[in-house]
Amino acid sequence: MRVALASAVMLLVASAAHAQWLNLPTPGVPRLPDGRANLNAPAPKTTDGRPDFSGIWHAPSQKYLANLAADGIEVPMTPWAREIFKQRTDSNGIDRPSASCLPHSVTDFDAHNTPRKVLQSPGLIVMLYEGYHTFRQIFTDGRALPKDPEPAWFGYSVGRWDGDTLVVDTTGIHEKTWLDDAGHPHGEALHVIERFRRVNFGRMDVQITLDDPKAYTKPWTVAFQWELMPDTELLDWVCENNKYFDVLPKDR
Amino acid sequence: MRTPTVLLLVLALHVGAAPALAHHSFAAEFDSKQPIKLTGTVTKVEWTNPHVWFYIDVKDETGKVTNWGMEMGGPNGLLRAGWTRNSMKAGDEVTVDGFKARSGRPLGNATSVVLSSTGQKLFAASSQGQ
Repeated sequence: MRVALASAVMLLVASAAHAQWLNLPTPGVPRLPDGRANLNAPAPKTTDGRPDFSGIWHAPSQKYLANLAADGIEVPMTPWAREIFKQRTDSNGIDRPSASCLPHSVTDFDAHNTPRKVLQSPGLIVMLYEGYHTFRQIFTDGRALPKDPEPAWFGYSVGRWDGDTLVVDTTGIHEKTWLDDAGHPHGEALHVIERFRRVNFGRMDVQITLDDPKAYTKPWTVAFQWELMPDTELLDWVCENNKYFDVLPKDR
Repeated sequence: MRTPTVLLLVLALHVGAAPALAHHSFAAEFDSKQPIKLTGTVTKVEWTNPHVWFYIDVKDETGKVTNWGMEMGGPNGLLRAGWTRNSMKAGDEVTVDGFKARSGRPLGNATSVVLSSTGQKLFAASSQGQ
């Protein structure tokens, strides 16, 4: 009976996922005796001795995407930011960029629970986001941030190693992006400092500090974790059937 | 009829670990204070991003048929939860639980779908909850 059930489970999962490579074992993943990924194994290193962040990761819930301040931390908003935030709250987030099929940006993708694949080479780390079928580059080749950047959806990111932690500085994010789905706003002077540390094979500590004098009277910091998603693969994600505006109240 | 139970278990496990996500604001579109339960015949399934949509013909007590459009999560979340584009097909009779659109039009967000023929429950990966 138990064997039959297990077989049925395997068959169902396999039949659903096989065509999309959703159940191919990821090479190089340490395994438990039963074949499952050993997510508590030590974090891997690259050949040059750096922590290796490669893999498909996600935030395990929507908690911090919904609100970066979900843990009840104080968000020191300026009057300008408070007014925008109130408008976005009062309108149930109706103007969120993603509702128009525009992608998330740095901080809301960090907090997103859809998969992102991290590719790491000596001078560059790339995040391929399944959602919105987009990507982000973090240069670790020692270059400086641009002095007067053209504002861009993902801004400009450079990273450096602080021990086992990758510290990423990002500037030049234009004001159209929201920091989270709650609608925390920012100005173009926003400086995002992310700190990534792979605690073990299956977990990544993510800490985000937001420094933006137009929107916040002092820097504020949020911390959460990513989980590794072994034995899956990125899927296609093109915003081809957006019916959002069909459903909106007529009186908008 | 072991399979439906197994499928339900599988979906419950997977979905619990990886809820699907809405790209838009649930509260802007749908009213969590207006739950609905509809039974009808599937007329179309759109297996697309950012959301899977399906349409059902629902007959009211006077015999009038209304075609309802129901939103689910995205196809990738549903795939990882064990769905495929063939899990629910045109012609299937289903009972849907969900929430009505604020607009008052025959649109909603599905939270669960049950196939009438087998009682099999197909989790809808509702876009609520963000």
